[in-house]
Amino acid sequence: MAAHSKSAQHLARQLFRLSFEQDALSAERVGGVLAWVEKHRPANPVIVLKAYRRLVEAEVARSRALVEHAGAVSEDILGAIGAALNRKYGRNIGLSAQANPALLAGLRVRVGDDVYESSVSGQLAALAASV
Amino acid sequence: MSTVLEQIEQQIAKLTTQAVKKNTGSIRAVADGVAKIDGLSDVMYNEMVQFPGNVIGIALNLEEDEVGCVVLGDVSQLKEGDEVTTTGKLLSVPVGKALLGRAVDALGRPVDGKGPIDAKETYPVEKIAPGIVARKSVSQPLFTGIMAIDSMIPIGRGQRELIIGDRGTGKTTIAIDTIINQAKINKVGLASGNKDFRPVYSIYVAVGQKNSNIVRTIAALEAAGALEFTIIVAAPAADNPANQYLAPYSGAAMGEWFMENGLDALIVYDDLSKHAVAYRQISLILKRPSGREAYPGDVFYLHSRLLERSARLDGKGSLTALPIIETLAGDVSAYIPTNVISITDGQIFLETDLFNQGIRPAVSVGLSVSRVGSAAQIKATKQVGGKLKGELAQFRELAAFAQFGSDLDAKTKAQLERGARIVELFKQPAFNPIPIEVQVAVLFAMQKGFFDPVDVKKVVDAASSLKTFFTTRQDALLTEIRTKAALDKDLEAKLQAACESWKSSYSA
Repeated sequence: MAAHSKSAQHLARQLFRLSFEQDALSAERVGGVLAWVEKHRPANPVIVLKAYRRLVEAEVARSRALVEHAGAVSEDILGAIGAALNRKYGRNIGLSAQANPALLAGLRVRVGDDVYESSVSGQLAALAASV
Repeated sequence: MSTVLEQIEQQIAKLTTQAVKKNTGSIRAVADGVAKIDGLSDVMYNEMVQFPGNVIGIALNLEEDEVGCVVLGDVSQLKEGDEVTTTGKLLSVPVGKALLGRAVDALGRPVDGKGPIDAKETYPVEKIAPGIVARKSVSQPLFTGIMAIDSMIPIGRGQRELIIGDRGTGKTTIAIDTIINQAKINKVGLASGNKDFRPVYSIYVAVGQKNSNIVRTIAALEAAGALEFTIIVAAPAADNPANQYLAPYSGAAMGEWFMENGLDALIVYDDLSKHAVAYRQISLILKRPSGREAYPGDVFYLHSRLLERSARLDGKGSLTALPIIETLAGDVSAYIPTNVISITDGQIFLETDLFNQGIRPAVSVGLSVSRVGSAAQIKATKQVGGKLKGELAQFRELAAFAQFGSDLDAKTKAQLERGARIVELFKQPAFNPIPIEVQVAVLFAMQKGFFDPVDVKKVVDAASSLKTFFTTRQDALLTEIRTKAALDKDLEAKLQAACESWKSSYSA
């Protein structure tokens, strides 16, 4: 079972690498990969596709920023955040805003694994952890 | 004025709106004290990671699309999907004199119920050992208080001396005796007001031990008044393997503080066999490739990087290590024992047969060796005990042959008699270390033949009587031996006279 899982993960990684076009994930190539899997039915297709999905999901998250905010946020601020993220990551980062009253005040921006915490609830949590 | 206030307001606004960057991941699976995490793309090897509920972990496996972490805390409250964040820090433990007299866990948190520890500094648990330039060769003695060891297998400050033997052969007792002896020497030295006196602080790391054993050790140290100079790092058998794996490194970090601050410390790792087993468990759960006896490939490095941290530093202090290894049926050629033997500067081998014959400490003189300690031995001990190891080896050889026949010449008989007396002389009860000056006096009496008329079975009694005689009636002479650390003609004459005096008063 472990060996099957390992080879499935390996295949998923290979398929993931084939899904890029000019260093960016291509919807067309992803479609091609899915068609190949359907046609050739590799061993353990469910494990392969689940692993592939996880890799694609992580990559998509890396090019998207989720801006959580407690109060109202103007378009100017969102624009400035978007520009700053594009500069920092050196690629186009799509922005989406979402209200989150649990933050109390301020913002939290999430790009892939990175979280930029500028909210009151985040600061309170950091303070609680340090005491 | 209003401009100034505006400036301050702007500065405050800048500070309060500054974003803190965190790198996060989520738990994919958690089992057996190990968590598999998605994300954490910025995590570094051995970095501390934060789980919910103030639980921390260490990133040990950095794979292409997941991170394997050992969890140092309660795993039961973690679940799939929980957020994990990097901290950018290596795991650190509190260090300093505030820990003396306390029992702490692998993370330096008190476990003795004596309240919080007011430690001012922390040291990283994993640290690269001092390099060649920073080191100095071993030349200062560290007395164990055990006559067989101090006279034949001497240990120096900064040395790594392995204590190896089967279960129940007195390995821990030797380590505890050594700690107690350091405390006794410290008390005498500090009371003397000698500015050149360098106390030795002790750290006892219990890995995979029974809680009852740890309690007994603490009680023994407390009863001997040695706890105030000792730090206990406890990772008992009930603790998770991650803590058992970390405890020796935490202890080493605490010892390094003494060494870096110009002080001398002694660290006992009790024991590294269980440490290797804990590491094997973690490695197997992390799915690292296993090798001989299912230990991972880096099990040698596990112990070499730990023991290399013990050293004597030029212009600073020293850290002496007494690692303990438990063998099975006396097999020193097993994987972990051979590894640790090759790393250390010698070993004290304890034999079950000797132990069962009542020879305690059951030190096998033939198999025990100290590779660097003789440079640290004081001249007085060399003068009275220099030939002991050879004499005992000859005795063993002759004793083996003597079993086959009774026709022995006078010289052989004399050698056998002498050897039997030396063996008796080295018998010593547990938790009763002997000061080096008393050891010198006893060995002097033996070399000069004062025990020759005593029946072999009564040598232990006679030695005990001689020790009492010296400690109660020859205090000035003992102080002179301690301070001079060598026997000149005058001192030899005084010792001879004292022994004559004892002989006249002693009746077997």
